[in-house]
Amino acid sequence: MSKYLRNLSLALAIVLTGAGATFAAGEEIYQVEQGFKLIPALIMVALLCVYIGVGFLSKVSETSGYWVAGRGIGKFGNGAAIASDWMSAASFMGVAGLLYLRGWFGLGYIIGWTGGYVLLLCLIATQLRRFGKYTIPEFLGDRYDSHGVRLIAASVTVLIAITYSTAQFKGIGLICGWIFGMSYTGSIFFGAGVVCAYMLLSGMTGVTRNQQIQYVVLISAFLIPLWVLIKKAGGTGILPQLEYGAIISDMMNGKVASGVLTGEDLERVRRTYLPWGMGDFYHFIALVFTLMVGTAGLPHIMIRFYTVKNEDTARKSVLWGLFFIGLLYWSSPVYAAMGKFWNPLGGKPVADVIILSAPERADLGIGFIGYLASGALAAGLSTVAGLLVAGASAMAHDWYSTVFKPDCTDQESLFVGRIFTALLCLIVVIAALNPPALIAQIVAMAFAIAGNTIFPVVVLGIWYSGSNKYGALAGMSFGLLMSLLAMVGWIAGAPFFSDSGILPATSSALIVCPLSFLINIVVSNAMAGKVSERAAGRGDNILRKMHNLPGHIEDEGH
Amino acid sequence: MTARNRLYINFFNPSTRRMRAEVSAARTVLFIWALLSFGIPTLIWLAGLGDPAGLGESFLTEARFLGFPLHYWLIAQGCTVGYVLLCKLFCILWERWAVHPKEPSGSVESE
Repeated sequence: MSKYLRNLSLALAIVLTGAGATFAAGEEIYQVEQGFKLIPALIMVALLCVYIGVGFLSKVSETSGYWVAGRGIGKFGNGAAIASDWMSAASFMGVAGLLYLRGWFGLGYIIGWTGGYVLLLCLIATQLRRFGKYTIPEFLGDRYDSHGVRLIAASVTVLIAITYSTAQFKGIGLICGWIFGMSYTGSIFFGAGVVCAYMLLSGMTGVTRNQQIQYVVLISAFLIPLWVLIKKAGGTGILPQLEYGAIISDMMNGKVASGVLTGEDLERVRRTYLPWGMGDFYHFIALVFTLMVGTAGLPHIMIRFYTVKNEDTARKSVLWGLFFIGLLYWSSPVYAAMGKFWNPLGGKPVADVIILSAPERADLGIGFIGYLASGALAAGLSTVAGLLVAGASAMAHDWYSTVFKPDCTDQESLFVGRIFTALLCLIVVIAALNPPALIAQIVAMAFAIAGNTIFPVVVLGIWYSGSNKYGALAGMSFGLLMSLLAMVGWIAGAPFFSDSGILPATSSALIVCPLSFLINIVVSNAMAGKVSERAAGRGDNILRKMHNLPGHIEDEGH
Repeated sequence: MTARNRLYINFFNPSTRRMRAEVSAARTVLFIWALLSFGIPTLIWLAGLGDPAGLGESFLTEARFLGFPLHYWLIAQGCTVGYVLLCKLFCILWERWAVHPKEPSGSVESE
């Protein structure tokens, strides 16, 4: 019976890592105990009190405070918030497992998720800060002077927020369940209560401050076991991020913890680390490109640039954000290599518990495991908080107070914002209680949606004055439809959209994103004569502001 | 504002001095970014074309750097460290070209 429970919890841990569920059989390098655990529980409760306390202390009463943190956040703070926003429970737990299974090919995720920030910095961050309003749908709606564009952007933002948060909530629920011994349902509600409490109490200032604390908790929990582990694997324990290279080189020659591999086993390990053993060149490039444009097109990452003091801070916070994210991604492969070293031929069950099993293997004790779980919880909470703010602001700000009721007061808009935050939270809780089986894959496809839909229209909105609402609508619709088509085709099992097909649903942007750019440009030029003087003037006005050109008129009023 | 007076902004044809400087910084950084992101995988692919097993074995997988197989290091750390440095480079170029340009900055050119 206890073995069954153990296997079941291993299977549940799979959800944390964002992969499909299979029951683990054998290969138990790690054991998850059931029931209430006092020390980890105390650690987690203490940290939760800190999060809520910080949220409460930085309580806000103005609208701009709720959405954009009153624009007082500096480069380190915002960098940590970007990193913490970014590091979800999935990237905290899952990337190492992915690298364990897919070896060299899995590195595509790492460069995709870091290289996207360079695009963001060069093409988008500064100009968005100069534009200086609250949300991405607002930017697009104002630039193209079109409620249609605004509403598509808002819908995509909400879609991304919901799918992403659902996966995070599952992770949060599982961690709470593991520590407090609650049922899955109970712990989902517990996690939702925590998220809602501090978001509603504080708005984004609290969220941003919390994200700085959460970043420190999660990155320290992630890094500390590495030094102990690398020593156990025969390293010197000075800089694990460099020392694991020799272990990989040895493994390619068959040397692992249990001795020397030969024959078929050796071939399997070598395949993992050779370039095209786990996927071909086209799919590597398609994956990297999709993740990059997707990263640069995620609304909840872009709105981070509104929360900083000035455009200089916006640029430097990308630099610091990427460095803080780099700390995680320079370390994930170490966990993966350690896992391979001790268990070279393991499958998914081993990959899924690599992070959770690390402190155990390093003999760091139950207290540290509690800290690690709190780190993973922090990762989940901060990502959910950022997503819910982005999603709720898309509805409250871009739909309610811009389209539906333009003359509402600040107070009213803030109130509606809180209602929508709670509403989104509720939707996500319901989805997390009955998770659709494919949620993890759908989350992966959120990158394709962002890269095909949002990225082209934002870049052209900033850098091409000829782009107008007709082009924007055509380009966005095409990007969204193609992403959804690829998703449906993938779920239905069509070979064309499969992982080894021509247009894989998770890597569709290599083909679709450039087409979306092209359609936007062609349609914009074809319809140039149809744009009203007023719309053209308003678009130009925003462009002047974003490029610091003379002639910008403040607040044309809408 | 008449149609003839419309603003003209194009990433490939920046109109003012300031915008030219900003675009130059972006182009320089994006060029290196593309080399890292797509050039290195292409290099690994080209080098590995001779492997009859199709796994991409080549001098890049044989060579060792800091203990790593070179092809692994180039992606896992070469590219990612490169991206952080590129962000730094962008901030530096921006300061140097756009904020404090060497030439005496006259009035903003006409659009």
